[in-house]
Amino acid sequence: MNDSCYLGIDVGSISTNCVIIAPDGEVLFEIYKRGEGSPISSVQQCLAQLTEQMPERLSIKGVCTTGSGRILAGAMVGADVIKNEISAHARAALHLYPDARTIFEIGGQDSKVTILRDGAVVDFAMNLVCAAGTGSFLDSQARRMNITIEELSSRAMLSDNPTNIAGRCTVFAESDMIHKQQVGHEQKDIMMGLCHALVRNYLSNVCNGKEIKPPVVFQGGVSANAGICRAFREALQCDIIIPPYNMVMGAYGAALIAAQSSIVETRFRGTEVAARPIATRGFECGDCPNCCEIIEVMDDDEVIGRTGGRCGKWEGKTGPRESLRGNGPSGAVSAASIDCEKCGLVDDVPDLIQMGVRKK
Amino acid sequence: MTYMAIPNIGNYTIALATAVESLGIKAWASTATTPEALKLGISAAPESVCLPMKAHLGHFIEADRAGVEYAFMVNSVGTCRLRYYRHMIGQILKDMGLKIKIFGLGFDGFKPPIVRYFDPGPVTFLKPIFHTALKIKVIDELEVAAWRTRPVELTQGDTTRVMNRLLVELSESGTMAGTRAIRRKAARCFAEIPIDTEKQPLKVGLVGEISFLRDKCLNKNIEYILGSQGIELRNFFLLGEELNNISRIVLLNQNRRKYLSRIADRYLQCTVGGHALDSVAHSIRCADEGYDGMVHLCPSGCMPEVSVRPILKRVSKDKNIPILEMSYDEHTCGVGMATRLEAFADVLRERRKKVNK
Repeated sequence: MNDSCYLGIDVGSISTNCVIIAPDGEVLFEIYKRGEGSPISSVQQCLAQLTEQMPERLSIKGVCTTGSGRILAGAMVGADVIKNEISAHARAALHLYPDARTIFEIGGQDSKVTILRDGAVVDFAMNLVCAAGTGSFLDSQARRMNITIEELSSRAMLSDNPTNIAGRCTVFAESDMIHKQQVGHEQKDIMMGLCHALVRNYLSNVCNGKEIKPPVVFQGGVSANAGICRAFREALQCDIIIPPYNMVMGAYGAALIAAQSSIVETRFRGTEVAARPIATRGFECGDCPNCCEIIEVMDDDEVIGRTGGRCGKWEGKTGPRESLRGNGPSGAVSAASIDCEKCGLVDDVPDLIQMGVRKK
Repeated sequence: MTYMAIPNIGNYTIALATAVESLGIKAWASTATTPEALKLGISAAPESVCLPMKAHLGHFIEADRAGVEYAFMVNSVGTCRLRYYRHMIGQILKDMGLKIKIFGLGFDGFKPPIVRYFDPGPVTFLKPIFHTALKIKVIDELEVAAWRTRPVELTQGDTTRVMNRLLVELSESGTMAGTRAIRRKAARCFAEIPIDTEKQPLKVGLVGEISFLRDKCLNKNIEYILGSQGIELRNFFLLGEELNNISRIVLLNQNRRKYLSRIADRYLQCTVGGHALDSVAHSIRCADEGYDGMVHLCPSGCMPEVSVRPILKRVSKDKNIPILEMSYDEHTCGVGMATRLEAFADVLRERRKKVNK
């Protein structure tokens, strides 16, 4: 049984990560890849890299996808479980630190806080309308200063006297930063000020009204930034734990979920997916006035998944388009619908009823 | 045939359409805002008004384009901005140069202006009114049956299909006898859906602004999303109950608000308008009745619901019931919402597992 392993894929807004674990939760391989905007090719590149690294004897027994691109990635690789990233991150943190009580997770465009008590998630929050406290904010500021994000982190650590920078909004933070530069503040102080601004924003917006209790686990792409970790320590006056696989915790959690969900036979389509010509195409459903845009994931000429409908009748179905069209919300004929035909119910009802629209 | 556009309040629009027949005209409506109407409304309305208003406005613009001459808009007596929306929508439509004539609900003298304008005979007027009351009752029953059945159905989508089919039949039913037959059939149809009798679904209450609670387009089909994740919902807006409340005020001088404010007394003493009091009182009631959690739907910028958000946080802490805040508008993407709902369902499941241990 030494040969079985589980794969977790996290398709985030900025990066795509893969983790392969042994059934007991030990991490065998991890891949962190900054995506270039195309989730399909990112996942394919990750899988290709995996094929090179992975010894022949290992066989993948289960796959779970997470992150904002989880549905597309799930359709692509044939995932057994598709899980939201909040649960995936919590699962990973709890596996490494069973007594953790708070998880900070700051990624490319999302920032979340998860409150745990006695080893279970009791509350969570996610940034709603603004991405000012996330990785993209730091990225754009670093780009403006003409330094890499790694340099920003190391320079901020040198500062003894951080500058105060307005962190409410990315644009205003930038104008404030320009002003501070022109006044003559040192670059390292401005960098650290930026980290403080991000943390202040995060604590007041996302963590608003939540009880932050140690031990605090900090993960997600931004946790690699030492300046931010220092700012968190100073703001909360407590120690912040950075887990060993901090960058790929989402994928790690997904792999753990796959390992624990007792999969009998995996639907994984194999690492060969990396070399397949996978593409997507959209079409309008048009069965009711909702006019949902349906995305079909294609492997060559074969449909391997559909997503995007409002009523759920297209979700995950791979049959020919015409056989699904015109059906009710659940789609193809099931055993249950035959029962319902006793009372004269058939499958051709729209999700939205219009009255009097035939006029003109 | 003369047509009148009516605002949509989810499935109850079917009943309202029957009510319009009492004026001797036909209704022009849909049970959810169409994406096209929403787009029209967003481009025509001021940026900062709440999403329900944009949806209603878009609906009326769409109606005008389809050649509908009249429109009807509710104007509630609560202190919410909804009370001015009839005038605002009327003004915006006029500024756009549209010819559609918009009526409100209100009395000046014995007859409401809308009745005086169309002046139907007493027989034409009364029969559809009784029929409407019956339809509202049937839709109430359908809604309740759907919340119960959806989380335990064996084949996903059965409930939605049965429900939609019955609603189509209901919207076509022209006689009271026909509606009564549908009511009997509904009970039979829901009973025939194969269910998992062992399953103990999570129970979640849905509170918030009424258009968000009722309009499938605005709430992104939240009843379906939560229901198909095995959650038994209770949506705290049933039109039948609201109407019973009105008749109780008239006949017995018993206002439900008095009852609700007794429950919410510790948290909310003054009137904030809209359905804010309901949100607080129902959250407290659900916590006492052992619900697993609450979802609070709140359009960005909706004054009453925004004012009770901190209160709900307090209720959540005191009563130890998770309350998910969903405050959003047209700029919020559906993926983020689905992620939150999914994670919320996970939280509730974990909680229950822990309690059972």
